[in-house]
Parts: sequence; structure tokens; C-alpha cells
Amino acid sequence: MSLSATDITIFLLSISVILFFARGFGELSRYLNQPIVIGEIIAGIILGPTILGTLFPETFNSLFNQSEEVITALNGITLLGVVMLLLVSGMEIDLSLVLRQSKAAVVISILGILFPFTVGFLSAYFFPEFLGLSDYNMRLVFALFVGTALSITALPVVARTLMDLQIFKSEIGYLIMAAAMFNDLVGWIIFSIVLGMIGQNSEHALPLSSLIIVIIGFMIFVLIFVRKIINYSLPFIQKRFTFPGGVLNFIFILGFLGAAFTEYIGIHAIFGVFIVGIAIGDSVHLKEETREIIYQFVTNIFAPLFFVSIGLRINFIENFDPLIVSVFLVLAFIGKVVGCSLGAYWGGLSKNDSLIIGFGMNSRGAMEIVLGTLAYQYGLINEKVFVALVIMALVTSISSAPIMNYYLKKVKAKLSFHSLLKNETIIFSTAPSKNEVIKELCQKVAVYHKLDFNLVYDLVNEREETISTGLEKHLAIPHARINIKDTIVAVAIARDGIEWNSFDNLPAKFIVLLLTPEDKPEIQLKLLSDIAKKFNDTKVIENIIASKDAKELIYKVKQLY
Amino acid sequence: MIFKKLGLALTFSPNGLPLLKSAVRLQKMFNSDLCLIHVGEKNPETEAQIDGLIKKAGISPNSFNIVWKKGEPAKSILNAASENNIDLLVAGALEKENVIKYYLGSVARTIMRESPCSVLIITNPVAEPEQFKKFCVSVDFTPLGETAVKKSYEFAKLEKAIEFVLVKEFEVPGLAITVYDSGSTDDTEKSKHEWQLEEEEKLRLFAKELNLTGMDYSISALFGKQGWEARNFVKENGSDLFAVPSPPKKLKFFDKLFQHDIEFILSQLPCSLLIIRE
Repeated sequence: MSLSATDITIFLLSISVILFFARGFGELSRYLNQPIVIGEIIAGIILGPTILGTLFPETFNSLFNQSEEVITALNGITLLGVVMLLLVSGMEIDLSLVLRQSKAAVVISILGILFPFTVGFLSAYFFPEFLGLSDYNMRLVFALFVGTALSITALPVVARTLMDLQIFKSEIGYLIMAAAMFNDLVGWIIFSIVLGMIGQNSEHALPLSSLIIVIIGFMIFVLIFVRKIINYSLPFIQKRFTFPGGVLNFIFILGFLGAAFTEYIGIHAIFGVFIVGIAIGDSVHLKEETREIIYQFVTNIFAPLFFVSIGLRINFIENFDPLIVSVFLVLAFIGKVVGCSLGAYWGGLSKNDSLIIGFGMNSRGAMEIVLGTLAYQYGLINEKVFVALVIMALVTSISSAPIMNYYLKKVKAKLSFHSLLKNETIIFSTAPSKNEVIKELCQKVAVYHKLDFNLVYDLVNEREETISTGLEKHLAIPHARINIKDTIVAVAIARDGIEWNSFDNLPAKFIVLLLTPEDKPEIQLKLLSDIAKKFNDTKVIENIIASKDAKELIYKVKQLY
Repeated sequence: MIFKKLGLALTFSPNGLPLLKSAVRLQKMFNSDLCLIHVGEKNPETEAQIDGLIKKAGISPNSFNIVWKKGEPAKSILNAASENNIDLLVAGALEKENVIKYYLGSVARTIMRESPCSVLIITNPVAEPEQFKKFCVSVDFTPLGETAVKKSYEFAKLEKAIEFVLVKEFEVPGLAITVYDSGSTDDTEKSKHEWQLEEEEKLRLFAKELNLTGMDYSISALFGKQGWEARNFVKENGSDLFAVPSPPKKLKFFDKLFQHDIEFILSQLPCSLLIIRE
């Protein structure tokens, strides 16, 4: 079977059409602050039977249904796309992070899988008709699949959301990433077992018990031995072979070998490439640069081919079943949000933070779609369920960021200077000396926040004696770490200026008292650096101390942020 | 006083004498007590050997005491350290051990991981011990991290060191994943740069809060894998003493298998290592 000249032309043409639409809609969704994958899927729906196929069936058929050969070639290339996608997914997982999680992350990870899985499994097992199962013999496998589908979290979408919300480098961001990575790892292991259970995917199918042993054996072998070997060979390859060519080849050779092996033993190729990806990504010798190059061409070329191809196969309007779609949506939200939030709450986080984590982990994005596609190809689910899964993936991904943002606003208020300011703890002081001002501030704070004045005053003074807290440009930040839960600030305006032993010998006019929880030294550093940066300008300070009253002052400070 | 009582495990290996000399040098500098621990049978022969070592090192007989211990070396040394209120245990180590030894563990390794007190690991001790010239300390923003910086800073001043660097690693797991979605590296690079500045600023304030006076110091914020980045920094910088706050828990076999944090430093010591414990 070989491609004729027409076939080749059509094949190349269809790929360029796919890439063109993928990029166009991808950029559009980026412009709307949505994950790019959403645009790519929409591009597929437009190019596929849903829209193009209905409006211009001839164009559609000549592009994507020209001949068996072209379809096979397209399928081959989308397979390559999904395999590479999983290689990258594996490389993202930071194994040591997953293994040394904090208590909170462990609880989130475990409940974040267990709860949605149970919800999905039980609903699908007892009410399969609502979830679109027609073949009752497949009830167990189907229930397992629904459980897995609900418990998956899409790392790339999560990462992007965290980045957009500017909480990537924060405690919550860290927790979400750690839990999402764990989730990914366990999700794919369960799914590979489910795929193995379907058992029709290969002529080498094994009985279930041996299949599980083989899966575990393969993981141990790759994650321990192959990982060590990769770690030792990478520096050698980077030194001796051309860079980055040598490393790139090495990575893809290993990835495809892993994929071929798992496909041979009857689990899907993606599982092998995923595990090999983890082993590669774990090496400290893998340069960030190499990682980015791989991500670049997989994301920009191969992943879009795969995501667009999803829409090419199915008519989304004909197969839209409102009941199934809403059941999946409800189960997805309940399972993931409740599971992860509960985990976070039991792990010791506040209610608000727990909800942020719950909704953060709810995005299913790309991973759900890979899962659904494979299940559909293996005949486990029908078109309607598949469409429901895709819609569920899209809705959970789109809704994640705005909901998180709603709860985040409350958290951010606790962590930034301008929102900590209170009318009641702002004074316009005429005190003659540094000591007097500090005393006034401490009194204010002690009364307003019901603290022990002597304790606060002693701690602040003690700190003041080691080295002056006077910064440059009329700014002074006397501070202390004290046994409180949330940060407290108070401000004194001394228009006449008070000698504060500052670096630049200027008297202090804008004086901020900063009390932070003693068990969180980093908050103090963060706020100190934040305030120092914002008010490192005489003009800004002059403007603020010219305020008539506390209200105006707070208004002016808020303008700076 | 930085350390009140030094402890040294005395052995008859080729490293025994150089280590003893190093310990004595530190004892004089810290103006502290010295406790020599020997694990083995106490008989006229070993006593004579120890006397010989002490004479060669040229220390006066009443400036130290000797503790005799029997049993498994690492455990015995650690027990002796806690029984005798030792607050700095000195030991020697090879820079790199072979794979088998690494997984089985050696005396030095057990001490580094499980010691109840601070530990100074001297790599490749030489016959005539020299001062430590270039100090580097790994910072974390915890009370123990503060202690580690203060102690090593005092240490550096006593040594009249020429360099004292505070390094802070910061890791943002999965950062490269964000490239994956948009296909753009600009955002990632920009955030990385902002975080770098933010970390440097925090580090500067941290150092300022500790009121380090008496010698100059510099700071450096490193983006990358915890432990690994600092280790490489120390290696490239040519530091000769690297101080780290001790990891919170004992390291187990699992941690060796999936290396992280301090394991990167312990498995390939970049230079002499000072592990600070409360």
C-alpha cells in the first residue's frame, strides 16, 4: 500500500489545514485567556463532520476522507502526536516532588483521586444507563473507566492557570502542582490497567493478574534502573554528541522503545512512553533548554494534530446527549472539587485555600481527551459518552481559572500591604522621637487587635536595637515576629520627620509597623521587600504623607498596586 | 562561643592524624573542649597507639578527654556524642564514594545523616591542616536557617575568611510545563527573571535582619533543583567550606534511591561540609 501523488498532496494539504486552524483558534483562545488546547479542539469540531462536513461535505471528504491510505497516514501521525504528548507529560512529573510531599499534599493527592474515582465508579456501576453504557458485560470495566476519567487532572492546564493567576510560585501553587503530578501518575497507571482489561487491543493479551505484575515490573525497571542509566548517560551524550541533536534523539529513541514495549504486552503504547518520560525528566542533567525545545515542537506541531483530529472523527451536534453531558459534568465537579477541597482542609488549610485547590485541580483539559479518545477507539465508550467527556474536559478547564480567582482575591488580601491597611491603625503623629512613635503604633495595634502591648513593644524594640529599621527615602519599617495568625500592619505619618538612623540619613516620615506570624519568617521577608520596593521613591512618599486623613491615605496606597 | 565541645572519632587509618590535627586547630580557634572518641577494644596496645597519635599531633595531655566505645562504629560515635554533650562532631570523608558503598552507607554517611549535633565533614584532610578561606552557606528562611548562617558567619570571621556567600535555591516545579500550553517561552523567562529578583531581595533582607557585621558577604539566588544547584555553585565557585542547615528528618534508603535536596550534596561532596543542627 503506497501513497499516490494525489494522496500525498491531499495528506500534506490536510495537515497544513489542520495546523492553520489549530494555530488560529489556539491564538484566539490564548487571547481570551483560555488554555490553547480548547481552541485546537474547537478547530477540530469546525473542520470535522459537525460543521464543515455538514455544510460542505465535498470539501470535507476530499480533505480528510480521500482514500484509505490518507486516513491511515493521518491516523499514524496522530498516534505519533499522542505518544509524544505523553512523553512530555511524563517529563513534567517531578518524581522527587511526588515522593516527598508535605502532609497536606499527600492528603490532597490521595483524596483527589480516591473520592472522584469512587463517585465515578459507583455511579457508573449502579446507574450505567445514565452514563450511556449499552453493553452490560462491560459494566465493571466501564465503571473503572468512568472512575479514572473523573479522577484525572490535566497538568498543563493547571500549570497555565497557576501562571496566569500569578500563584505558580506560592505555597498553594506548589501544593497543587505536587498533587496534580501525583494524580497524573496514578491516573495513567489505573487507566493502563483498564485498557489492559478490555483485552482486545493486542494479540499478546495477558490475563489480568499477570498484566498488573507486568505493569508494576515495568515501572520498577524503568523508574529505578533505566532512570539511573539515563542519569549517567546524559552528561556523556551532551558532551560527546552535538547539542541538542544528540540528546533529543536519545530521548525520543528511549520514549518510542518504551511505547513499543507496552503496546506489545497489551497495554497501550502511551503508558510506556509516559513512564520513560518520567525517568528522563527526573535527571538533573537534563537541561531546561532541552526540555523547552521538546515541548516547543511537540506542542506546536504534534499535539495540535492530535487535538484537531478528535473533532474530525465525530459529529458533536448529532451525538450531543444533554442527559449524559450533565451527569458527567455534575459528577466531575462533585468528585474533584469535593475530594480535593476536603483533602486540603484535612491537610490543615483554610476553607478558602481548600476551595482554591479543589477548583484548581478540577481542570481536565488535554489528559481527559487522550483518555476518552483511547477508550472510544477500543470501543469501551460510544460517541455520546465521548462527546460528553470532551465537553466535560472543556467546561472544567474553562471554569477553573475564574472560580479560583474569586477565592484567590480573598487570600491575596491577607498577603499584600495595601489590603492590610486599616483606618483604625493609621496615625498622624507629632511624636518627637523614634521611641515615642513606636510606642504610639504599638498601642494602637494592641488595642485594635487585642494584643499584649508590652509584648509587642518589647519585641519591636528588641529588633530595633540590633540594627535600625530605617530604609532610604523617608521610609522606616519597624517590625517583629510575634505569635499571631495573620499579619498586622499599622502606619504612622510624621510630617516633620524623625531621626531613624537611615542609610541615607534622611528622617523617617512614612513609618510602617509590621507584625508577622512567628512561624512564617518568609512572610516577613516578602512584605518587607514588597513595601521597600513600592515606596522607594521620595515623590511617592511625599504624596502619601500629604493625605488629609486615613481614608485618603489608604486610597493613595491602593493606587500604587 | 560557636561550639562548646568538639568531638572527633579517632581512627588509626591514614586520615587519623590529619583529622586529629584539624580538630585541634579548630579546638584552639573556637576555644572549646575536645572529646576524642575511639571505637574499639581498650588494651595496652591500642592505648599506646592513641598516645602515639596524640604525641605526633602535639597536644597537651589535659586539653582533651578520651571516650572508649565498643560496637558498631557509627552508632557508637553518635551515642558518645550525645552522652558527652558534644555539639560539633568532626569526621573525614572521601569526596566521592563508589556506588556500592553509597547504598550500603559508611560511617561518615551515617554520621552526616543521623548525628544529634552539628557535623563538620572534612574532605581529604591533609597533614598540615589549613584554614578555610571561602565560605558558602545554603540559606533557608527558617529559624534553623538563621542559626546556620549566624554560626557559619562567626566561624568565617574566626578563620579570617576572604569570602562569605549566602546562596538560596528556589524551585518552581513544573515551570517548563507552562511553555507547553502557549508554545511561548517569553512568559516563562519573564516570570523566572521576576522571581529571581524577588528571591534576591528577600535574601538581602534576610541577611540584613541577621545583622552580619565584621566581614563582607555576598548573596546569590539560584533557580533550579534544591540541593543540586547549590552543590554545583559551590563546586564552580571553588568554596572550601559549605554550610547547610540539617534536613528535618533522617534520610532513608528511599531517599538515596530517589535523590533530592541534601542527598545531592552528601553523595558528591563539593568540599568540606558543615551541617548545622540545633
